[in-house]
Amino acid sequence: MQQQKGSGSEVEVTWEDQLNINKFGRLNNRFHELEDEIKIAKENNESLEDASNELILSDEDIVRFQIGEIFAHMPREQVESKLEIMKQNSSKELEKLEEEKESVLAQMAHLKKVLYGKFKDSINLEED
Amino acid sequence: MASSSTSSSSGVPAERRGIPAASFVEDVQTYLTQLGFDANSALAFLQERLQQYRIVEMKLLAQQRDLQAKIPDIEKCLDIVSTIQAKKGSGEKLIADFEVSEGIYSRARIEDSGSVCLWLGANVMLEYSCEEANELLKKNLENAKASLEVLIADLQFLRDQVTVTQVTTARVYNWDVHQRRIKQAS
Repeated sequence: MQQQKGSGSEVEVTWEDQLNINKFGRLNNRFHELEDEIKIAKENNESLEDASNELILSDEDIVRFQIGEIFAHMPREQVESKLEIMKQNSSKELEKLEEEKESVLAQMAHLKKVLYGKFKDSINLEED
Repeated sequence: MASSSTSSSSGVPAERRGIPAASFVEDVQTYLTQLGFDANSALAFLQERLQQYRIVEMKLLAQQRDLQAKIPDIEKCLDIVSTIQAKKGSGEKLIADFEVSEGIYSRARIEDSGSVCLWLGANVMLEYSCEEANELLKKNLENAKASLEVLIADLQFLRDQVTVTQVTTARVYNWDVHQRRIKQAS
């Protein structure tokens, strides 16, 4: 993702610069992981919403609720409360991931300023 | 394998669980003189290092995928055990539909036995009380999560070394270009 162009200019790379570059690399990796995790969390959220809606529409007393690999027969109220809890946990998880993503992006923006400031054209921090 | 010890970089271990650290180069000229390399040999050496890092990265990523699949499985098991425990008090039987074969389901009536059988691997299955099963599964979950943390730290360390090696490669290359220009000019 990042390359230094061979301009032959002699801007020295200090250990601090190296640490910044390393940190930027780590943050970028984390950013991509977060994007994937957020996608999965959103899908999960939607599935739970759909399940909830289906439950409201159906009029069965005993609902088959998936636990692990089996479908356990459960009374409707129990399934409703389980779903509620799952939905809450899922949104909290999503919120946490979005927050981390914002933080990572902010840190990356800061590092870009620092690194471009010192190295200007000799460094490329963009996605290719 | 020669490794330069010019780095004054503090806090970085010389290696981590078999992964050698990439030493930071303060000054390219000094680095090359110390190693007795010319630019091309240095670049070849660094490329080889990079290859070795990539191989280790593949291995670690595979291990990470395995662990990341294992953890939700253990959590599902814990879910089931707690459901069985919950039913235990009520005296009702747990009725469940399960897959007999692909696409074919059957109904099971799980009696109030208060115990489950756990698959331990290597064709071994043992019966445990619900409490013991909970303990065992929780311990397995903690171990898996701890292993995953260590693995992720390993990967981060590895990726840092890859970055350092890439930057060193670019700097050696630039230095070489610079040297050639100076020679041409004189």
